Amino acid sequence: MTPEKPAIKKLYALSNEGRKFAFSLPLKNVVRVNGRDYSVELREDEKYGVHVLWKNRRYPVEIVRTKQNRYEILFNDISHTFTVETPVSMQRKKALGTAREKSTTLIVRAPMPGRIIDVLVREGAEVVRGEALVILEAMKMQNEIQSVVSGTVVRIGVRSGQNVMKDDILAEIKVR
Amino acid sequence: MKKITRILIANRGEIAVRIMRTARKMGIETVAVRTAVEPDAMYLSHADFIHEEDDELAEIPVFLDVEKLIAIALKTKCNAVHPGYGFLAENAYFAERCRDNKITFIGPSPDAIYKMGNKPVARQIAMKHKIPMAMGSTGSVANEDEAVRHAARIGYPVIIKAASGGGGRGMRIVRMESEMEKMFILASREAEKAFNDPSVFIEKYIENPKHIEFQILGDTHGNIIHLGERECSIQRKHQKLLEEAPSPALDEELRAQMGETAVRIARAVGYYSAGTVEFLLDSDRNFYFMEMNTRIQVEHPVTEMITGIDLIEQQIRIASGEELTLRQKDVKLAGWAIECRINAEDVQAGFAPAPGKIEKLSLPEGPGVRIDTGVRAGSSIVASYDSMIAKLIVTGRDRHEAIINMKQALDKVWIKGTKTTLPFFRMLMRHQAFQAGTFTTSFIEKDLDRYHFSSEYEETIAAWIATKLFTEENLSSGKPGISFDQGRELTPWLLRKRLTQF
Amino acid sequence: MEINGKYFRSFIEREEALKKQYSAERIKKQHSKGKLTAHERIALLFDDGTFEEIDAYVTPSDQGVEFGRMELAYGDGVVTGHGKIDGRLVFAFAQDFTIMGGSLGIVHARKIAKVQEMALKMGAPFIGINDSGGARIQEGIASLNGYGVIFNNIIQSSGIIPQISVIMGPAAGGAVYAPALTDWVFMTSNTSYMFVTGPNVVREVLNEEITSEELGGAEVHARKSGVANMIYDDEENTIIAVRKFLSYLPSNNLENPPVATYADETPGINPKLRDIVPDDPNKAYDVRDVINQIVDRNSFFETSELFAGSLVTGFGRLEGKTIGIVANQPKVLAGVLDIDSSVKGARFIRFCDAFNIPILTLEDVPGFLPGKDQEHSGIIRHGAKMLFAYAEATVPRITVILRKAYGGAYIVMNSKGMGGDFNYAWPSAEIAVMGPDGAVAILYRRELAEAKDPVALKKELVKKYREKVANPFIADEKGFIDEVIDPALTREKVLSAFSALSNKSVKVPSRKHGNMPL
Repeated sequence: MTPEKPAIKKLYALSNEGRKFAFSLPLKNVVRVNGRDYSVELREDEKYGVHVLWKNRRYPVEIVRTKQNRYEILFNDISHTFTVETPVSMQRKKALGTAREKSTTLIVRAPMPGRIIDVLVREGAEVVRGEALVILEAMKMQNEIQSVVSGTVVRIGVRSGQNVMKDDILAEIKVR
Repeated sequence: MKKITRILIANRGEIAVRIMRTARKMGIETVAVRTAVEPDAMYLSHADFIHEEDDELAEIPVFLDVEKLIAIALKTKCNAVHPGYGFLAENAYFAERCRDNKITFIGPSPDAIYKMGNKPVARQIAMKHKIPMAMGSTGSVANEDEAVRHAARIGYPVIIKAASGGGGRGMRIVRMESEMEKMFILASREAEKAFNDPSVFIEKYIENPKHIEFQILGDTHGNIIHLGERECSIQRKHQKLLEEAPSPALDEELRAQMGETAVRIARAVGYYSAGTVEFLLDSDRNFYFMEMNTRIQVEHPVTEMITGIDLIEQQIRIASGEELTLRQKDVKLAGWAIECRINAEDVQAGFAPAPGKIEKLSLPEGPGVRIDTGVRAGSSIVASYDSMIAKLIVTGRDRHEAIINMKQALDKVWIKGTKTTLPFFRMLMRHQAFQAGTFTTSFIEKDLDRYHFSSEYEETIAAWIATKLFTEENLSSGKPGISFDQGRELTPWLLRKRLTQF
Repeated sequence: MEINGKYFRSFIEREEALKKQYSAERIKKQHSKGKLTAHERIALLFDDGTFEEIDAYVTPSDQGVEFGRMELAYGDGVVTGHGKIDGRLVFAFAQDFTIMGGSLGIVHARKIAKVQEMALKMGAPFIGINDSGGARIQEGIASLNGYGVIFNNIIQSSGIIPQISVIMGPAAGGAVYAPALTDWVFMTSNTSYMFVTGPNVVREVLNEEITSEELGGAEVHARKSGVANMIYDDEENTIIAVRKFLSYLPSNNLENPPVATYADETPGINPKLRDIVPDDPNKAYDVRDVINQIVDRNSFFETSELFAGSLVTGFGRLEGKTIGIVANQPKVLAGVLDIDSSVKGARFIRFCDAFNIPILTLEDVPGFLPGKDQEHSGIIRHGAKMLFAYAEATVPRITVILRKAYGGAYIVMNSKGMGGDFNYAWPSAEIAVMGPDGAVAILYRRELAEAKDPVALKKELVKKYREKVANPFIADEKGFIDEVIDPALTREKVLSAFSALSNKSVKVPSRKHGNMPL
């Protein structure tokens, strides 16, 4: 039995605020806004760097980060984050989303002994994955301790100026 | 007073460039200081002479080091110093040390700086001259009990402010007596941390005021005039983001009244040079004296644009002892000017500083557009200084036209390499309350649900870019072809090794 | 043979029975868990229409039928075969959870062993997609023996063909050692688990409540245990990544890695490299920014990204040719070497060496992580692994010192004495026995104690130490550095150095094997 590779006919870009943008493949240089198609072009040159040409105007573009199917794009000075999903992965998202409805608490611990230089978030603050929580100085270097999950800070375990040991609790985050 | 022939610019960035431009126009030489943090900064290329300062090991930036600056001025044979804004611009001791060394300090007298710099002293002077003020304590408040007594007298809400403070630090709003103890300690502690002085005072807190300031010019012969107001209510945590002149909230009558008051307080301290008197204006058109800034302001260009007066030139002339040729009746306000502070800040992350290297920079030009900047493509916005990239100043015949021109100018700004406050201004120009001119100082904190403008199509295009990248990386035939045969072609030398080794 | 002939009819009947076995209902059940079926995974993995399945019709052993329910299904819960990936021969198996939970019986094991042996004979890469409930209890010892055979095959092939495990479901008990023995482990978040003893046993023995995800999910293995090298959010992305990853690797240890077509677009001279490392030695930066400016555009594939972040490892391309990159990461714990990063680095270096992949080392290391925790857990033993791996590697080895290179950590990071072929340094490099602060404190202890203003004196001395000792020029003059280079020219230098080294051939003394400090 030689199964056929499923042809991908559509892709979805999901914004981190939950908006969904659908594009048919093969992807054309066209964007549809309010029912009208406009041509759009992604270019790069010496003078302007990477930019988009849209309705005879240039807009600055920066591809800040790409990781797997996650893209952070700076368009016209505003950053947008999308995950690009195929019909199959959309289906998986749905299947997993209904199966998994638990919210856990993540404990952020000091990765090494050092001194807390600054606490950057407050209890009750909403943080996103990768956001810096505290700055820990160790080995004369300032290390940003980042949240590995998105969620709400339920507890801050340290004050700035405080010395911490390895594995001391820095913060607790309720996973969103 | 003697003629100024060479000025040490005790500052950096756009204000250094700005001062040097006027000095050049006036035929005065300038000296700039090169620091280890910004060895290739743009301001250096505008100076006639550059002093090399090896400050790598210095405890404090050279621009904050009084004795070092005096030494540099003497060594480079400068007979005047311009402090710009920030750093030592409002440091009475620095002005005094300049005077001791026969160097002209381009600014007011040390006495005026001291009196206006110390808030309780300034309040007492203002009170003596019957300047309208928010009710409050006459001097510093010793403890929370005294604070509670004062608050009971003037009525809640009140605001606790640091005596030697500024820029919003050490300020606390107290809305009821039960909060006083906690807030008083917080404010006092913060004041001590920020200004090395824990003393605080108390004032009536005015809800949702407008921030209106008057530009003052005074000479050493006792002439003092005002150049109209600036509207600075668009601020976040007491940091101004956009200023305009004139203010949509003032009419001729109120302008004359406030201007006269501003001149009166300046006269009270024998003020000369350029200065700014700040007022709060409440919704009933009552105004209250807040403080006086004894320096050139970041936002001075908007006044220059509507009066046609070069304020830096006036500062230099006044410092050389010249008499003002302008009289109050000569000051005519024409048109409207708006200034946007384009900073390297991440608007989406609550205006967090976003230092970085400016890779591409293209700024609009043309009639009605003025750019004051201290950076160019390749410059770095360093974390140790402020995050300003450029001030974009745009004029129009009236406010409406200025806003339209600003909207267009903003779209012509091209900055790559760091996030900027541009999206905020794009939003602001489209915001109804801004267009109507009814905004107050709490506008950003209270009236905005988002700090940036992004139309629906922008997000759609960004989504399209993400999708395009995904297809190019994962689905397209455009990804690099892999040749396995090339990996199999080995030279005899390698082949022998591989075969015998295993 | 007639199309309606007797023989042909039974052939078609069998084919139909097989089709029926993979009913829509089973597929739907697998999909409802967010998972793809074994055949769907295989289809995604291989080039269109190239996969040839072997042993599709085998049936389970009939041992132990009397105990417990057992299906008599074709294929015995695993799909095996070969196909092409980017046009190259690859062998693979994919366990089928829809047939008896993908449990491993003797026939199932034999099928896997058969393709393993074929892969070794052909010198072709081997990929295993795991989604199995474990040993088939009904078959008892025969099933355990099956694992033994599979493990043995992996070990015999190790270092000869690249072996990749993809975990897309449970892998529990002894089964976890098959992936652990292969070169690389990919996992899919939320739907795959690996543990030796599951949550139920943990609950019974230790009275501790823990979920499968917390005990052995992809995130845990990628961050904490280091068992999973790469994790992805969904199965499609996982398989896309496996395909991409394979394009960096040769088919076997006699070949060189494949070469990607290279459209000359990455500049040889790149001034951006001058700006990444901050002048302030205490400021952090992301060493991946340096890597991305050196290798062909978008060619860096980071491995074990989430584990031991203070050392970055991964593959990249230089004019289409694969290189392995080992780089200290100042952004994480100042880039120190600790137990985890030493082990991560050592294993990566050994893989590169086994498969003829040249190694580029980017060095900015303040030293080994101090402390009781590290010393007692054996940083000496584990740090030694990294030394061993470097010195043992006969592939071309180049080091570029970006900034700090102090003490023992300097030696470890492919120093000249350890056999580095070309060692370069940027002008910002600080090469010394220890950092300025430590050195000054020891050398001028008395002077500092007696000084009126010890802080100022220390600053002065530190500055002097940087100028006089901790710089790349002394090392250059003494020959421990081959050249101090302009950062902007790094790509060009590294390219020409690797090209000069492409014929490197080292005679290794003959021995059974060295005794690496494991």
